[in-house]
Amino acid sequence: MNKQLEKLFRLPTVEDPYQYKKVRIVDIEDLAPDHRMFTLKFTDERVSQNFDFVPGQFIMLTIPKAGEIPLSICSSPTRKGTIQITVRRTGRKTKYLYTLKEGDLLAVRGPYGNGFPMDLMKGNNVLIIAGGLGLAPLRSVIWYVLDKREDYKEVYLLYGTRNYRLVLYKEELERLRKRSDIKTLFALDRFESEEDRAWADYEGYLPGLISKVDLDPEKTYVTVCGPPIAYKFIGAELIKNGYHESKIFVSLERKMECGIGKCGHCQVGYKLTCVDGPVFPLWDTKNLPNMI
Amino acid sequence: MSTLFKLEKAKILSKSRIFDFLNLLKENFDSLIAPVRKGKYTVFSEIENVEDIVFEYTRTLLPPKKFILKYRRERFTYDAQTLEIEKQENLSKKQVIFGVHPCDLHGLTILDQIHLGEFPDPRYLEVRRNTVLIGLSCEPDEWCYCISTGTAFPDGANWDLFLTDIGDKYFVSIGSDKGDELVHLSDGLFEEVTEEDLNKFKEETAKKKHLFDYERLPDLERISQVIELEYESEVWKKEAERCLSCGTCTNTCPTCFCYTSVDIPSLDGKKVQRVEFITSCQYPYYSRVAGGHEFLEDRTARFRHRYYHKFVGYPYQIGKFGCVGCGRCSAFCPANISMVKTLKKLREGKKEKTNV
Ligand SMILES: Cc1cc2nc3c(=O)[nH]c(=O)nc-3n(C[C@H](O)[C@H](O)[C@H](O)COP(=O)(O)OP(=O)(O)OC[C@H]3O[C@@H](n4cnc5c(N)ncnc54)[C@H](O)[C@@H]3O)c2cc1C
Ligand code: SF4
Ligand code: SF4
Ligand code: FES
Repeated sequence: MNKQLEKLFRLPTVEDPYQYKKVRIVDIEDLAPDHRMFTLKFTDERVSQNFDFVPGQFIMLTIPKAGEIPLSICSSPTRKGTIQITVRRTGRKTKYLYTLKEGDLLAVRGPYGNGFPMDLMKGNNVLIIAGGLGLAPLRSVIWYVLDKREDYKEVYLLYGTRNYRLVLYKEELERLRKRSDIKTLFALDRFESEEDRAWADYEGYLPGLISKVDLDPEKTYVTVCGPPIAYKFIGAELIKNGYHESKIFVSLERKMECGIGKCGHCQVGYKLTCVDGPVFPLWDTKNLPNMI
Repeated sequence: MSTLFKLEKAKILSKSRIFDFLNLLKENFDSLIAPVRKGKYTVFSEIENVEDIVFEYTRTLLPPKKFILKYRRERFTYDAQTLEIEKQENLSKKQVIFGVHPCDLHGLTILDQIHLGEFPDPRYLEVRRNTVLIGLSCEPDEWCYCISTGTAFPDGANWDLFLTDIGDKYFVSIGSDKGDELVHLSDGLFEEVTEEDLNKFKEETAKKKHLFDYERLPDLERISQVIELEYESEVWKKEAERCLSCGTCTNTCPTCFCYTSVDIPSLDGKKVQRVEFITSCQYPYYSRVAGGHEFLEDRTARFRHRYYHKFVGYPYQIGKFGCVGCGRCSAFCPANISMVKTLKKLREGKKEKTNV
C-alpha cells in the first residue's frame, strides 16, 4: 500500500472490554441442594485490591471450556480481597462449574450494569425483599448497608423461599435475626416439615409479608430481587402499602451473552438490561412492555 | 460562484476510467470487494477481475456488513489450563468495499455507533479502520423506502468516497482523509468539477426522490408511538402466523447485530476458541434462559420484537431508526411478509379503532 495512505490506517488503542481477569476459587460452600457459593480471588493482587463495584452489579464469568455466564456478585464491596458468587446448577455451563475444585482457575469480566442506587438511598430506611436465589445480589446490599450502618436509617429484610432445605446462607441469616440493627421476616411457601415450622416467621408467599413491615414508606427505599413472576404481586402490594414507585428498585434477569450492550439479547422494551439495568425502578417495569 | 459547496471536496471520474481506478484500488489494498452477479442475485464478493463488477443493481443479498462484522468470527483463543489469552496478530486485512449504496452506508454507520460507542470493541475498530468505503448512487425499486427513513443519500453516514452517476461520468464526493488520499494517489484519473458537472450532479440527486412510488411508501411519522400504542394489536398475531422464524429478515439486514458466543475446545482439549455467531431475535432460543423460560414467549412476541427494536429500541439506543429502508427483509422473505405492509396495517388498525 502507498505509504501516505498507510499512515491513515494507524489504529488508536482502546481497552478491550472482552478481555477477562483470572481468578482462583479459594472457597466452595454448599448452601442448599444445587446452590453453591464460590469465593474467588484475582490472581493479580493489584486487581483484587482495586476491584470495586456497587451491590446489584454482575460479572461475566468464564468457565473454562464451557463459556461465559452472567452472575450477580453476592459479596459486598465493603469487604475487599475476594468476591463471592452463588450459583444454581441449572444447565450445561453451571454443571461444568460444579465439577471445579478449590484452587481451580476461572476468569471474570466486569463489574457490569448499574447496581442498586446505594448513594441515593442514604439517610433513608432500606427495605430489602428477596425471593429464592434473589437473595444473592441482595446479600451484597445487606452487608453494604450493615457495614455503613450510620448512613442508613432502619433496615428491614424480607426473605421468602420454598422450604427450609432451600434457605440460603442459613448461618448468616441466623446471625442477622439476632442483630438489633436489622429487622428480618422470613417466609416459606408452605410448611411441609417441623424444620420449616421452626425456622420461618410466616407461612405463605413474600407479598404477604409486606403489610407487616412497620417502616414509614415516605422515607423508605425498597430493593427487590426474586423470580420474575413474583414482581407483579410484590409491586402491587408495595404500592398498596404506600411505597413510592420511584423508590422501589427491582433487579431483572434476561438472557445475556456479552454484558456490554453488543449482543442484543437482554433487551427489555427499548432498554438493555446489561447497561441500563439490571436494576430498574418499578416505574420502568410498569411502562416498558414485556418487562415483568 | 459562491463557495457554499467546496469543490475541493469533489472530483470527476470519467466512466471510461473506472476500471483503471478499480485496478488501482486492487493494487493498493489486500482486498477489493464489490457487487457481482451470482445466479439471480447480486452479492458483495472479493474481486479477482474488476470487469466482473456490476455498477447497476438494486440490492445485494447480504449487506456489506458481512465484511466488517463477520457472521462467524473468533473473539480469541485461550489456554484451557492457564486461561492465558493468546496474543492476537493484527489479522485484519486492508480492504476497500466499492459500490455501497446509501442505505448500506447508513447501515454501517449504525453498526459503528453500536460497536464504537460505550464499551468500544477493539476488533470492530480494527476492521473498520482497515476498511475504505466507496459509495455509489442508485435507483429504487418497489421494495426500497430509504426516502422514508432518511437514508436515500449518503449525507450523515460514514464513508470515504461517494460516486454519483451523472451520465458518462461519476461525480465523486470526498468524505474523509482516506478518500482524499485515494484521489491524490490516482493522479491523472480524476478531473476537476466544472459548473456543468455540478449542475448535473444537483439534477441527478434531486431526481431520485421522484423515482419512488409514494403510494407504496410507509408513513413513519410517529411510528415509535404507533408501535407502542398498537402493542396489543391483532395485526402482530396475523402477520406472525405466516412467519417461519427463519431469520432471513435479520440475517440480510444491514443493521442487525445480535450475536451469540460459544467456547469451542480443540480436539485435544488444550485450547479453547471463543467464537461469536450472528443470531436472530426470530429464533425461539434467542431469549430462552435456564429453566426454559422464553422472555419473547411466542412467534408473535418475536415478530413484534423486531419492529419494536427497529423503531422504538434504536431511537432510544442511538437516536435514530434501526431501519435504513433497504427493503431486504421484505424482498427476501420466503413468506412474503412486507415490513411496509405490516406498518400500514398497524396504522389502519388504529384508525378503525379510534373511529368507533
Ligand atoms: C444479571 C444476571 C445475574 C445473574 N445472577 C445469577 C446468580 O447470582 N446466580 C445464579 O445461579 N444465576 C444467575 N443468573 C442466571 C445465570 O446466568 C444462568 O443460570 C446461567 O447462565 C445458566 O447457564 P447454564 O449453561 O448452566 O444453563 P443453560 O440453560 O444450559 O443455559 C443456556 C444459555 O442460556 C444463557 N442463560 C441461561 N439462563 C440464563 C439466565 N437466567 N440469564 C442469562 N442468561 C442465561 C446462558 O448464557 C447459556 O449460554 C444471572 C443472570 C443474569 C442475567
Ligand atoms: S429492517 Fe428490513 S428494510 Fe430495514 S434496514 Fe433491515 S433489512 Fe433493510
Ligand atoms: S434484536 Fe432482532 S431486530 Fe434487533 S438487532 Fe437483534 S436480530 Fe436485529
Ligand atoms: S448482554 Fe449483550 S447486549 Fe446486554
